[in-house]
Amino acid sequence: MKTLKRITALQALPIAALAIALMSRSECSAADESGISFFEQKIRPMLVEHCYACHSVEALENKKLQGALYLDSAAGVAAGGESGAVVVTGKSADSLLMKALRYDGLEMPPSGKLSDEVIADFAKWIDLGAPDPREGSVPVKPKREINLDEGRRWWAFQPLQAVKLPIAANPIDGFISIAQQSQGLKPGVPAGKEALLRRAYFDLIGLPPTPEQMAAYVADASPRAFEKVVDELLASPAYGERWARHWLDAARFAESGGYEFDRFRPGAYHYRDWVISALNSDMAYDQFVQMQLAGDVISPDSIEGAAATGFLVAGPYPGQITVKTVERIRYDQLDDMMMTIGGSMLGLTLGCARCHEHKYDPIPHQDYYALAAAMATTAHGPRPLDPDPAATALAQEKHNADQQPLLDALNAFAATELPTRFTTWQEKELSKQPAATRWQTMEPVDLEAERSYLKESAGGLIVHDGMLAAGSVVRQRGQSRKVRADEVYRLTFHTHQKNLQSLRLDAFTDGSLPARGPGLNSDGSFQLGEITVTARPINLQSKDVPKNLKLKPLFAAFEDKDQPLSNAADGRPETAWIVKTTAKKDNAAIFEFEEPLAGFDGGTELVVELTFRELGMGRLRFAFSVDPNPATWAGEVTTQHASELRAIMATHGKELPDSMRVPLARWFAPFDPETAKVFYAVRDHRAAVPRPHLQEVYTTVSGGQDVFFLRRGEVDNKAGKAEPGFLQVMWRKNEDPAVADSPAAHPRVALAKWMTDVNNGAGALLARVIVNRLWQHHLGQGIVGTPNDFGVQGDRPTHPELLEHLAQELLRQGWKLKPLHRAIMLSDVYQQSHVINPDNLKIDSANRYWWHFPPRRLEAETIRDALLAAGGNGDSLMYGASVLEDSQRRSVYLRVKRSELLPIMAIFDAPEPTQSIGKRSVTTVPTQALAMMNSPLVRQQAEKLTARIRPTADQPLSTSIVLAYQIAFGRSPSEAEQLQMTAFIEKQREAIGRDSPESTEKALTEFCHVLLCLNEFVYID
Amino acid sequence: MFNYDSAANINLPARRRFLQQAGLGFGSLALASMLREEHTATASEPVNAISLNGADPLALRAPKFPGKVKSIIWLFMTGAPSQVDTWDYKPELQKRDGETLAGSDPKTGFFTTSGKCLKSPFAWGQYGESGSWVSDLFPHLSQHVDKMCFLHSMYLKQNNHAPASLELMCGTNRPGLPALGAWMTYGLGSQNQNLPSYVVLHDTRPRGDDQIWSAGFLPKTYQALALDSRRKESIDNLTRDAKHSNQQQRTQLDLIRELNQRHAIDRATQADLAARINSFELAYRMQMAAPEALDLASETDAVHKLYGMDRPECETFSRQCLLARRLVERGVRFVQIFAGKGVDGDGSVNDVPWDCHSDVQVNHRSCGLHTDQPAAALLADLEARGLLDSTLVIWGGEFGRTSDSQGAKGRDHNPNGFTIWMAGAGVKGGFHYGATDPFGYKAVENKVHVNDLHATLLHLLGIEHTQLTYKFNGRDFRLTDVGGEVLKDILA
Repeated sequence: MKTLKRITALQALPIAALAIALMSRSECSAADESGISFFEQKIRPMLVEHCYACHSVEALENKKLQGALYLDSAAGVAAGGESGAVVVTGKSADSLLMKALRYDGLEMPPSGKLSDEVIADFAKWIDLGAPDPREGSVPVKPKREINLDEGRRWWAFQPLQAVKLPIAANPIDGFISIAQQSQGLKPGVPAGKEALLRRAYFDLIGLPPTPEQMAAYVADASPRAFEKVVDELLASPAYGERWARHWLDAARFAESGGYEFDRFRPGAYHYRDWVISALNSDMAYDQFVQMQLAGDVISPDSIEGAAATGFLVAGPYPGQITVKTVERIRYDQLDDMMMTIGGSMLGLTLGCARCHEHKYDPIPHQDYYALAAAMATTAHGPRPLDPDPAATALAQEKHNADQQPLLDALNAFAATELPTRFTTWQEKELSKQPAATRWQTMEPVDLEAERSYLKESAGGLIVHDGMLAAGSVVRQRGQSRKVRADEVYRLTFHTHQKNLQSLRLDAFTDGSLPARGPGLNSDGSFQLGEITVTARPINLQSKDVPKNLKLKPLFAAFEDKDQPLSNAADGRPETAWIVKTTAKKDNAAIFEFEEPLAGFDGGTELVVELTFRELGMGRLRFAFSVDPNPATWAGEVTTQHASELRAIMATHGKELPDSMRVPLARWFAPFDPETAKVFYAVRDHRAAVPRPHLQEVYTTVSGGQDVFFLRRGEVDNKAGKAEPGFLQVMWRKNEDPAVADSPAAHPRVALAKWMTDVNNGAGALLARVIVNRLWQHHLGQGIVGTPNDFGVQGDRPTHPELLEHLAQELLRQGWKLKPLHRAIMLSDVYQQSHVINPDNLKIDSANRYWWHFPPRRLEAETIRDALLAAGGNGDSLMYGASVLEDSQRRSVYLRVKRSELLPIMAIFDAPEPTQSIGKRSVTTVPTQALAMMNSPLVRQQAEKLTARIRPTADQPLSTSIVLAYQIAFGRSPSEAEQLQMTAFIEKQREAIGRDSPESTEKALTEFCHVLLCLNEFVYID
Repeated sequence: MFNYDSAANINLPARRRFLQQAGLGFGSLALASMLREEHTATASEPVNAISLNGADPLALRAPKFPGKVKSIIWLFMTGAPSQVDTWDYKPELQKRDGETLAGSDPKTGFFTTSGKCLKSPFAWGQYGESGSWVSDLFPHLSQHVDKMCFLHSMYLKQNNHAPASLELMCGTNRPGLPALGAWMTYGLGSQNQNLPSYVVLHDTRPRGDDQIWSAGFLPKTYQALALDSRRKESIDNLTRDAKHSNQQQRTQLDLIRELNQRHAIDRATQADLAARINSFELAYRMQMAAPEALDLASETDAVHKLYGMDRPECETFSRQCLLARRLVERGVRFVQIFAGKGVDGDGSVNDVPWDCHSDVQVNHRSCGLHTDQPAAALLADLEARGLLDSTLVIWGGEFGRTSDSQGAKGRDHNPNGFTIWMAGAGVKGGFHYGATDPFGYKAVENKVHVNDLHATLLHLLGIEHTQLTYKFNGRDFRLTDVGGEVLKDILA
């Protein structure tokens, strides 16, 4: 049903055009003389004057034709243009031509709007049936029709083909060898052990082997020596750091929004960390893809799921958006996602179908929007998440358990010591306590808040003690909940006094608050939407009914006449007491109870709920009074404690019931150090509940809106809502699996499943694309030379059967990548030497058949990492927020800010992270040489290398030279090199001055500097 | 100083190949087969207009047809000046100050405008034989109107600084595309191997930053060298570490060359090895050449005075203009100056100095003081040195301003009509092309989109814009996207 609807909507356009063509012809022949005459008098002159310049056969000849629209013939009018039909015969209201003339969305003619009369004439003409005697035809531009059946025959869209395995120890070598033989090429020779080890290290972990690692390998005569190394390297955490960088290129990963403000996204690095960790754990590639498309749904509220979908939102996004541009920018954002998904996962240029049918590949325009529709409710932004909710829950459980002994101590104290201590005290001291002032500050017995951690402080003060981020999911009191953006405080107080008349709320300023407070919003303001007070008996057995107390706002120390205190007690949370202009001052509000609260037997519990807009108050205090007319009082306060004790005594006399002992502790604590000790131990412990260490992750957030099919990709040219669907060319059955499988599933989960479904989805292509990437990064060039384009414009595979075999192998290994690395690296083709066979060169100069290993330059990150490794000062700390150039951590952790790419990275061809990159360009420019010759980094590393090769002053020069070669190149120098280097060092010593005590060290630095500049240092064979 | 003939110990055939690949001798020029119809591509080779495969990407490439322009200096008036207060005189607007602006469209600006005409607060006069109207913001530049070819009907689609700057420099506003200067160098190579071919001079970095002068998907070789006036145009890593002497470094480089050559022998198919050997020599030469090119002390006092370097309000821009002349003299293809701020207190923001939202008079007066004399001096100086015959100077911002007011005295962004002018090689002088409506609000006659401007500039350089393509992610890209027409009427 869904499918049908979508296709109908999308195909309405050509069908409508056809219908009009047919109709207008018949209508025209039926049109009477007056219609034609109306056209001749009113319409034709206007068309000639205002339209023909851009919409006629002549315009075409003058190269002025716009919109492929011809208005110089009846046929042209009927055919419409790029934007579809322009005239719906008989229905001027539905005709695009009228919208254009009325400047409604389109503006025609562009030189200025025609007069209202002329526009009315056009409407009349269309309503008359658009009578039009003009002959002539529309020049037909041959339009490529997408033939899906033919498209399905393209090699990349076919199901995985069974391939006959060649007879060879490693099938990979079999395929390579067959192809070589067919070309008359001779196989390469094995690489030397040193070259091979260096190659394997840089390939898999992006770091050189140490001299010790090299020596151990060279000494290992076992036939499995190399295999062991490969396994070790695959198990190294540095593997993920190295290979994550390849994927991050494809994912156009950066940590800022680009465009004018290029806002940094502090939580974006979680995606990079997720990729590293996923690769290190050898996450199955299908899962790797699924998580990036829908991790936020598959694994909701986990940092992993959110980090993974960082993939979707890693693209650039303008920082300044207006109402005028918001929709276009939204479609640009969708396009960024489409192009990235297409390029990185499918090897398809999906972006080419944004404005029209794909010009080369069988991807109809509508398929683009069907895929994009999966992203309809996907927006981007930061989300605070607990990286380890289980640990937080555990810590909270432990904390709760730790409270029991404190409670036990309190109970024991209350049962044993408290009564006598109290009796003694009240006899001697109670009468000395001053009588209560009119305001008694209330000490809360419980504090709850939506976003804040609140704690009690002396004198009834309630102090803000930390905040939860809106949108984060937290577990509190055994319950999981999502934190709202607006604050609610729920404060519970007890009293045993009677006849409560009024309530006072103080909001204090403090240096610790934003802009000194009293509000917690960044400008110190607060907006109190509503305050409610409920009174109920403390005694749970009581049958008395709770009461919602009606509050009469009497007075606020500071209020705005437009946003007065009364807004907070009007029963309407949408109006608020807003304290903004008078923020930064202590504020107070007084409410009278409409009826005095008599109070319940056994004590009264007051629950005060404050509902704020945004954040609440940072330091507040409640007080109540039992006297009338509070508005006239000065601000003198005492705490409620003594009065509570008096009230309890008044009720119970000197014989305290057992049930009152523990509650008594609260009121007695300020007067008795021993009571205070046990009572505050419980209170303080409760306030110290462990909190989640929330981290901000830049990821998908809910938002966005319906996606529409856009003619020509123009937001003003919508043609119906787009329903989620998949590329038709990859439908295996004759219906869209999106609809067939699980129409109820989240569209991105459905997309993720389709993407990885080998039988009914894009899984076969997905597998081919990733194994090709692996091959490319190991062997310098992909089997398909265009890793991001497996379409018609891309390269064909040089070894199609090998590609199929690798893809099948990936599936056989449960989509695990590490076994595939292993298989490739254990092949002869990988292990061959770079040496060139002149005969082979004549046949295949480009080495498409891999008859020798192609040397290649290290990437920017690897060059920097190799420099750090040479100096021995690399920092192997993994993960976390990105760092700047002066750090000694691996380059994958360097900050990627779109407008400020780090020079050392940009110079050596780190790509602009704006689009998916499958293959970096490798340039050689003088600025690179300048960096090697003169940058402080390289000089510093040369000095560090010097220190490594000359640990003591008596180290023979020759030993230093050997060690330097081993560190820098993974080999020892030849005798000739040894001599030449010695001569160079001596010459440098001379230049420095042989007498200088540091001449050897300085000369060695010159020598080390040379080694770091050499091609051999930055190339691997 | 450095002679490849002394390069030792390379067997002959390998050496010959190496020399070719190192970009020496004219053999490498053969690799620069420019145009795609001339280029037979194999299946897995990108069909680019220019084959970079193994060739020195900066090797000089002959244009398809002789271009009149060798170098461009683009004076980018960052923040967008108002056309109706500079070069596009509108008597009707002057007359109807405060009246409703017919056709005022609230969608034009970035904020909201009043819909009421705001007349230009400046005095206007006619100058030159062409009688071109210029406001009194430009007492110096107005002396050169007969060299200028005005495009009064520029328009583009974006109405905020960064996207519009991207559109103006890269053809569309999508990030990740190469800028004009990168395309130029890709198309023509470099005229001076000792200096970068594409140089940006900026003060506070303009909105859009690196992306405005990005090489995009082109090889990074074509990226601009951006010189920050606040750092006195210093170039990273240009200076040898004081810890070793020039002689020591030279000895290093000689050894590097020799060892690299030995390394390259059995890797003969690796063209980039040879290029890298070459690059160290180029870097060494650049280490000498760039400080020389950037050394303004070698200019006479009279030149300093001509550019206004003695005046604090225009000191930065005058230094940038003088540098631009020196760079162009030394063969740099494209110099772009992003105008910064002159003196404080004009209410503008550093990275968009001409952005006169609150008060066009105060703001433009200050920006005029900052840019007028240096720009005029540049024209005069280039002419005196005969460089104006091969250099094109372009003046303009990323869009124009509204003819109605924002607030009482300001003007909002307006991408629908603005003026830029070009002066020098290949274009008619004292010539006015296109027009805005009587209020200067919208381009109506001979409208010129950025793509048309780019097509024309490439034409002036000897490149047919539809032929300059680069294949990236499955698509042939070009600077002019899918548009662009050469403005034949303005060609001299």
